[in-house]
Amino acid sequence: MAGKSGRSINNVPESPVKKLIFGWEGILILVFIGVNIFCKWFSEYYNMFNLLRQMPVYLAEVFLMLVMAFILVMGEIDISVGATVCLAATMACIASNAGIPFPLVILITLAVGTCCGLINAVILTNFSELPPMIVTLSTQIIFRGIAEIVLGSGGSISVANTAGFKAISRKIGSVPLILFLVIILAVFAAIVLGRSTFGRKVYAIGTNRLAARYSGVAVQKIRFIIYTLMGTAAGLCALFMVASSYGANTTTGTGFEMDAIAMAVFGGISSTGGKGNMIGGIISAFIIVCLRIGLGQRNVNGQVILLIIGVLLIAAVALPNVLGSLKKAVKK
Amino acid sequence: MPGSEYVLELKGITKIFPGVKALNKVQFQLRPGEVHALMGENGAGKSTFIKVITGVHKAEEGEMFLNGQKVDFKGPRDAQAAGIAAVYQHATSYPDLTVAENIFMGHEIIRHGIIQWKQMNAEANKLLKRMNAEFDSTAEMGTLSVAEQQIVEIAKALSTNARIIILDEPTASLTKRESEELYRIVDQLRDEGVSVIFISHRFEDMYRLATRVTVFRDSQYIGTYNVDEITNADLIKAMVGREINDLFPKPVVEIGKEMLKVEHLSRTGFFKDISFTLHAGEILGFTGLVGAGRTEVIESVCGITKPDAGKVYLEGKEIRVNKPSDAMDLGIVLLPEDRQKEGLLMSWGLGRNVTLPIMGKYAKGGLNDEKKERDISKQLLEEVDTKAVDIFQPASSLSGGNQQKVVVAKALGQEMKVVIMDEPTKGVDVGAKAEIYSIMGDLAKQGYAIILISSEMPEILGMADRIVVMCNGRLTGILDRNEATQEKILDLAMEKGPTAKGGVA
Repeated sequence: MAGKSGRSINNVPESPVKKLIFGWEGILILVFIGVNIFCKWFSEYYNMFNLLRQMPVYLAEVFLMLVMAFILVMGEIDISVGATVCLAATMACIASNAGIPFPLVILITLAVGTCCGLINAVILTNFSELPPMIVTLSTQIIFRGIAEIVLGSGGSISVANTAGFKAISRKIGSVPLILFLVIILAVFAAIVLGRSTFGRKVYAIGTNRLAARYSGVAVQKIRFIIYTLMGTAAGLCALFMVASSYGANTTTGTGFEMDAIAMAVFGGISSTGGKGNMIGGIISAFIIVCLRIGLGQRNVNGQVILLIIGVLLIAAVALPNVLGSLKKAVKK
Repeated sequence: MPGSEYVLELKGITKIFPGVKALNKVQFQLRPGEVHALMGENGAGKSTFIKVITGVHKAEEGEMFLNGQKVDFKGPRDAQAAGIAAVYQHATSYPDLTVAENIFMGHEIIRHGIIQWKQMNAEANKLLKRMNAEFDSTAEMGTLSVAEQQIVEIAKALSTNARIIILDEPTASLTKRESEELYRIVDQLRDEGVSVIFISHRFEDMYRLATRVTVFRDSQYIGTYNVDEITNADLIKAMVGREINDLFPKPVVEIGKEMLKVEHLSRTGFFKDISFTLHAGEILGFTGLVGAGRTEVIESVCGITKPDAGKVYLEGKEIRVNKPSDAMDLGIVLLPEDRQKEGLLMSWGLGRNVTLPIMGKYAKGGLNDEKKERDISKQLLEEVDTKAVDIFQPASSLSGGNQQKVVVAKALGQEMKVVIMDEPTKGVDVGAKAEIYSIMGDLAKQGYAIILISSEMPEILGMADRIVVMCNGRLTGILDRNEATQEKILDLAMEKGPTAKGGVA
């Protein structure tokens, strides 16, 4: 029973490159260039050498964004990751100080993070009607609470033997190891979200959970995997946080969840689910990293940097609407 | 023109949306105390027209007269003040608020800035009583059935002292009995001198209620006819622009081997002791009043919910279905009742919608093969003759009938043995309906076993080989095509005496 009327439906897509350039990603690339020009003008120390030298501590947060993007595309949120980073970093220091060989310390740190993610995953998939915001707010308090109990109120811990951590913060040539890791994982995450069937299902969940379920998408299984991986990413972030300061304290990782969300949202990944892509998230992550380094070099207060990023974020989110109404106005 | 002949008259109305003429010089006249049906295919411009009358849209051209006087509504409030109220297809209610709050939303009874609850509840009850409603004004809206919510919507219209009430597909989600109740209410309104404009895809509604019918097609006015002077065929021709010879092209198919067997299936609180069989090439109708448990039985078979007891066999082998993907893997494919919420991802392109359940089958190493995806979806969408420009346009851009075709295409892509269609023609215009029935017939011819769940009697009688009737969570009878009549089905579907709801005991 081939098409009775012989009607043909077009299936030739428009060029994806064109879509990227004229889409949000194109704007982001312009913003990225603009930010770099601004930083260069603003700070005499802003050059490739310093950029690469200062980058690692900021790059650690990009790991979080890579998984947070999946959660946001599902239309959900995880605000416990900052606390997970704190707990995992604390455990990394303790393990290291206990004389455990460094490869095992890495495993332990990742495992602590993964366990935290697993706890979120188990709660959220078994009681799927609970809002993720509330659940992860609770676990945020619990994870940070455990870290505080271990460290003592307002306490901190330093690593005695820094050899292992030095090794992971080393450079290959002048490029820090972490940059390679971020790029490799970013490419992987972009492929999984953008090109794999898994990624497509994540979009389906974020667009219409019920219809996704009726279409045979294993909604809870996918949520389980992603929330667990979010914890693993927090463990990885914790490892590089410790490597950058050789210690941890009760404020380690504070606000990281919001930074990760900001990077993703600035990159065009809507927190209502189903929209955006990883490329935007990655570009915006680098915009924020560059901005922080550039402004930081002239000792701009951390709060002011946050303020500028906040303004940029609102401007970025509002821009498409403003452009839309401008277009309308011009047409009239 | 004498002003009193029509309560409402529209002349030469043209409404332009960016790129499309939604209405092209249409006209309409409504007599006082008349029930006037407005018919046409999806996309003919009926809804836009209603929105022009209610002041939601402003027409670019044309005039509107109310009781002979020219009016110009600036917004919905003007229309409301002029005594025009609309009850829309999808109830726009607040499920967490009470019936009274819903009725008086936006025009609460207020004294000194304080809501007069007692008076408001009493007024609401008065309105409800007028319509013989069996619920109280303090009931929560969300706890009511669709039919009851519709009554509340009508009460809301009446609470603004409307003299012209517009009903936009009010019977679309009602059962036979609930529709009867609605007819009675409309009759009563007419007797009270209210004029009613009635949009519906059901011919039944029109014959039962309306004295005149106006037909739109492709944004244009086709004509106004007296209901008792126009034949069914002429009306369809006016609506579709071509003749439909056979609305129910039920092919004669030899019934094959047993495909699905359900034995003593029960789910506490929903249905009890359901047993039936389904054969290859057979269309098995499932009917009953809404709430009889039809959809619930099917959802248990498809793994959406879990039954408490009973067995399901596919081709003689017992199967266990724990989740929807299990059923799909076995070849049991459900076309859900609610296209927009369950069947499709409305913001997604057609192609992606079609391939969502099957992309894993042609993926390479977990990566989606987008080239293949585009080819497969194009082929499937063309197979069911979807009216679409390309596979990337969002599902929401299609009419109801074409959306349903996309749902069918999505099912066709799967390796299916048993096809379950839950209300496949709900809210679909007559032209698209005929096409869906024709696809259904083709599927049966190809040997698929089909379950058709429907509340529409002509559809069930026209398409099904055997008809399963349910009432209150129990299977009350299975009728053969030759012996089935509307009366017999209704007799089985109606509750007789106090029977316990399936499995509550």
